[in-house]
Amino acid sequence: MKQLQGCADMENSLELIAFFLLAGSLLTGALMVVTLKNLVNSVLSLIVVFFSLAGIFILLNADFLAAVQVLVYAGGVCIMLVFGVMLVQRKDMRESNPVNRRFLIAAPLTGALFLLIGLVAAKSPWVKEAGEVPENTIEHLAPILLRDYVIPFEAVAILLTVALTGVLLLVKEVKDNGRSS
Amino acid sequence: MIEFALNYAWLVPLLPVLSFLTIVFLTRPWARLSSAVAIGAMLGSFLLASSLAWGVFTNPAFIEEPLHYSLRWLGMEGFTVNAGILIDPASAMMLFMVSLVALLVQIYSTGYMKGDPHYSLFFAYLSLFAASMLGLVISSNLLQMFIFWELVGLCSYLLIGFYTYKVSAREAAKKAFITTRIGDFGMLLGILFLQIQFNTLDLLELAAVIPNFAQLGVSLGLLTLIAILFFLGPVAKSGQFPLHVWLPDAMEGPTPVSALIHAATMVVAGVYLVGRMLFLFVEVPGSLTVVAFIGAFTALFAATIAVTQREIKRILAYSTVSQLGYMMLALGVGSLSASLFHLWTHAFFKALMFLAAGSVLHALHNKADVWEMGGLIRKMPITGWTFVVGGLAIAGIPPFAGFWSKDEILLVTWEYARHGHALGYLFFAFAALTAFLTAFYIWRLIFLVFFGPEKANDHVHESPLSMTLPLLVLAVLSGVAGLIGTPWTNLWSTWIHFGDAHSGEPAYLLMLLSVVLALAGIGLAFILYCKDQDKQAARSLAKKYPALYNLSYRKYYIDEAYTWFTRKIVDGGAKVIYLFDIYLVDGVVNGLAALTKGSGQGLKYLQTGKLQTYALIFFLAVLVLTVAFNLDSANALAHLGGVK
Amino acid sequence: MNIDFSLLITEISLAILGLTVFTLGLILPAKSSQKGLGTFSLCGLLVILALTIASWGNQGETLGGMYLADYFTSFFKILSLTALILVILGSKNYVNSQIENHLEYYSTLIFATLGMIIMFSAGDFITLYLGLELMTISFIVLTSFRRTNGKSLEAGMKYLLLAGLSSAVLLYGLSLVYGAAGTVFIKEIAGNIAQGYFNPLLIVGLAMLIAGFGFKISAAPFHMWAPDVYEGAPTPVTAFLAVGSKAASFAVLIRVFLGAFLEMQEQWTMLIAFLAALSMLIGNLTAFAQTNIKRMLAFSSIAQAGYILVGLVAANEAGIKGVMFYSFIYVFATIGAFTVVSEVYNKTGSDDIADYAGLSQRAPLAAVVLLISMLSMAGIPPLAGFTGKYYLFITVVQDYLWLVYLGLILSMVSVYYYLRVVLVMFRDEPADPAPLKLGSTASLTLWLTLAATLFLGIYPWPLAKLANTVAIAFLAGL
Repeated sequence: MKQLQGCADMENSLELIAFFLLAGSLLTGALMVVTLKNLVNSVLSLIVVFFSLAGIFILLNADFLAAVQVLVYAGGVCIMLVFGVMLVQRKDMRESNPVNRRFLIAAPLTGALFLLIGLVAAKSPWVKEAGEVPENTIEHLAPILLRDYVIPFEAVAILLTVALTGVLLLVKEVKDNGRSS
Repeated sequence: MIEFALNYAWLVPLLPVLSFLTIVFLTRPWARLSSAVAIGAMLGSFLLASSLAWGVFTNPAFIEEPLHYSLRWLGMEGFTVNAGILIDPASAMMLFMVSLVALLVQIYSTGYMKGDPHYSLFFAYLSLFAASMLGLVISSNLLQMFIFWELVGLCSYLLIGFYTYKVSAREAAKKAFITTRIGDFGMLLGILFLQIQFNTLDLLELAAVIPNFAQLGVSLGLLTLIAILFFLGPVAKSGQFPLHVWLPDAMEGPTPVSALIHAATMVVAGVYLVGRMLFLFVEVPGSLTVVAFIGAFTALFAATIAVTQREIKRILAYSTVSQLGYMMLALGVGSLSASLFHLWTHAFFKALMFLAAGSVLHALHNKADVWEMGGLIRKMPITGWTFVVGGLAIAGIPPFAGFWSKDEILLVTWEYARHGHALGYLFFAFAALTAFLTAFYIWRLIFLVFFGPEKANDHVHESPLSMTLPLLVLAVLSGVAGLIGTPWTNLWSTWIHFGDAHSGEPAYLLMLLSVVLALAGIGLAFILYCKDQDKQAARSLAKKYPALYNLSYRKYYIDEAYTWFTRKIVDGGAKVIYLFDIYLVDGVVNGLAALTKGSGQGLKYLQTGKLQTYALIFFLAVLVLTVAFNLDSANALAHLGGVK
Repeated sequence: MNIDFSLLITEISLAILGLTVFTLGLILPAKSSQKGLGTFSLCGLLVILALTIASWGNQGETLGGMYLADYFTSFFKILSLTALILVILGSKNYVNSQIENHLEYYSTLIFATLGMIIMFSAGDFITLYLGLELMTISFIVLTSFRRTNGKSLEAGMKYLLLAGLSSAVLLYGLSLVYGAAGTVFIKEIAGNIAQGYFNPLLIVGLAMLIAGFGFKISAAPFHMWAPDVYEGAPTPVTAFLAVGSKAASFAVLIRVFLGAFLEMQEQWTMLIAFLAALSMLIGNLTAFAQTNIKRMLAFSSIAQAGYILVGLVAANEAGIKGVMFYSFIYVFATIGAFTVVSEVYNKTGSDDIADYAGLSQRAPLAAVVLLISMLSMAGIPPLAGFTGKYYLFITVVQDYLWLVYLGLILSMVSVYYYLRVVLVMFRDEPADPAPLKLGSTASLTLWLTLAATLFLGIYPWPLAKLANTVAIAFLAGL
């Protein structure tokens, strides 16, 4: 909470309420992704997560990022749904995302980690250096991506090439297996 | 030639290395050629070493001012290590002795190993073995020495386990390697400490700075620790109690290897090293007492074991352990001269006896039990009589080599005792008793094997010239090698000494005592094993004192104790870790698999389950790390001047 | 803002080479002509290596400090390229018989190397992270390359999920550090911390960075993936993963922890020492029970990571030097060992240690190289590994003597399990005494690694001096 107060002096409580709503739906969605037993439901709650995150980006005036978030992950979610339905060879979709005993260890563990980081973050003083966010973020992006950050940009390009070839290779594998079996 | 030899001393170890490489990579398919290459290179080394030794021993300047040259080898800011060569009388003597014995062993091997499928390889290993030892001898730097030291260990591993089809040989090789590494570990720590405290590993520089250790801020306690750690290496390598266990087993290797290991290369490395580092040990009198005590104890301990052993090579092996104890004892009472003198004479008579034993085994097709031999001297006169010479030498009958060196050791121990060291009398008693036992067990061996009635060994015949020639050479050396160190003309101690050269009056009483002890031992052996044809007395003695007999015959159950220790403790520990791995990591997974197997998807869950375990452990580690960091960061905040 | 392209010569030519291999593979029609791709990549890489060595003195930074080219990066560039060249050279046989898709294989290997280079040349977290991801994703693809082998696919899957996990943690750590220190530039972080920008979250971020990089160098307790992935991946990929990925990650660790957090050294050295000890313990002790040689080497590589971490504990010139020296000699020992493993697998189809029986009779060169490589890893003089360990451990003798003791005891222990393989190779009789013919390029690799391991053990001074110069320059440039 301190983070919020320190981060930007929100003039109206409306934004605060919006943040709480979005954050709440984000966390709930994330929990549902892990705990729901039906894979399709899990993936659908992932959409909630992505949209809530996009909302938070908008709150932070990062409108381009929010748009990208929605656009990119909408496609991603579609593909996950298809894969989820196709690849999970379960008779009953209602048990396609089972929870096992490790949950009993994992839950307190991640909970403890969350608490710890939360506590530390709450105690931390924050350096406020936030400059004015420009009205239109898109036109500032091109020079940043293609000039200042050209090396990471090119690295991403190659990374995508590699990922694509890798995926093609694995898809080919599935076809081969399907034929032989 | 002498000038050349002195300037190019590094060629001495290099030549055998070259022959090793040549054999392994070029001439391996041609057995005869390979052995010729090895012997040729060794001969070259020997010639170089002997002219070098001549150069050193004709020029007294070398005693005070050793020849030393080096080049930068490795280093970093603030410390460098130079690799170099150090030639003084001690190393010159060792070079000569090692190259000579190695040469003779190689010549002998041409006969002994004839027809072995890995004939060439054997010569390659022998060359490398000799090269490592020669390299060790001339090293001017402890780290460099340690490297050769390890190489010696590696070669011994290869050679002891040379008969790959013998399980016992493999086990022995492993035992030798692992046991000596226990010592090496301590030694490496010692070397590290020396580097840290004195910032040099050069032998000459260390010799100069260690006496002033107090000024350098090194406490006596630390120096004692260094000395003791350092001593662990020689204890293991030179087969001192309690790390002697590998040495008797090392006879599983081919006999020429045993000769080389026991006489010239591996085991004497420890004695030589302690001798080289004596300047460290004299600074801490406690450590010297430890050295002396271990030496004296080992000498007696091994001698009592040798008394009852039945295998010919095993008797000799325990005899080596015992003699090495002598050498350590001499070092412990502070006499480098006596120790290296005994090392020198021992090299010849022990190599002689091992090679002669090999000749016997060769003729008897590896029947090793001395009780099944007898009267061999008529069939194998050269082997027999040379062995007798060796026996006279080790028993200490004048004027054979062993007498002079053993007498010297008894003398220095006596003087040590007389100079107010109460323990010295104990050491002297140990040494004297050992002298008696040594004469007894060696002559027991000789009487049983070479004299007495002939056993049914029809086609026994003398070994070929290639094997008897080295025996003859060594027999001559066992006869005369001690004459350079007699109390009347003690050339030896003027050349090789630590501190002041020893120049005592000849101690006739001591000489008499040592001769009497030797004769008593031989006499007892004669009565029990030669005169008494049925050996009734010997057998009844063993029957009468079964506990004592078994204790000695079973080598005080040391091996059994170690086996028990490794079985129960070490392997047990490994098992616990293994079980931890199995049950804690795999068990979680397997248990889960069992749970889910009902659904028919066991395997898949096994795999994904494992993955989740991994992820869990990852996060657990992150959590622990974060907590640890945060606990630590309380003082970090203070350190960095608080928060901004 | 102008870009100084001369500083990027290695990266640009690697990218071009990778794309050329890719295009050539697509254009060339017949499968047989694709076999030339390996040779082509090899020639290209040799040229790039020469270029990199030639531009040794060309130092500087570009894009306002986002991308660095100094002696340190040059050293690790040469290391990565050498490793890649040796891996490709040694694996031609294996690739021809086990892997169908040559064009993807070689181009992905090259891109993985590019990723490593970008990663340790980065001056800021964004470039660093993208380089790391490029490397990781390339390795995920490479790990699952044996398309018909279930183990390989399983390994790829595991690596994908666990690497994703570790990347997430790392990224979270990076963002926390950014939040706390106010900048993504490594140098500026150091400056800000020195000025008193201190924040408890920085500590949390640091812990997560250690976890993320610890995963990449397979240090315990982040090592769990290594045995499975090493076992399942195609052997040349395993070799490159063990050598390249690890060395590059060590380079980044040095860059980040010494470059940005030197001020907070007191906080993290103790933890790194703890990780080092744990890695040595777990790696060496678990290696005992292994029957598969690749798994055994995986555990041994965990132990090696522990040894190398010791250099980081020292966090000074000598420590950096030790890390660099050890990483370089580790290249030769590891690639030597894995080349033998891949050749043996190629002929016998097995990675079981038991199937190495009598290797000394069937393929003496392979047996000798495996022996020398393992003894070097165990740190037996006069092999390179001994010198390397000496350099590493001497740096912490004063402050962390217990670590030295532990390291020495455990490297003594390690001799035991290495010797087990040696015994099998040299003592046991082979089930099938037919000679095992090695490929000519594999033999060349074996000779090269053997020569390097021996030479650097006997005369380490040239490499040590080079590492020393680089370490001094690195610390001076902070």
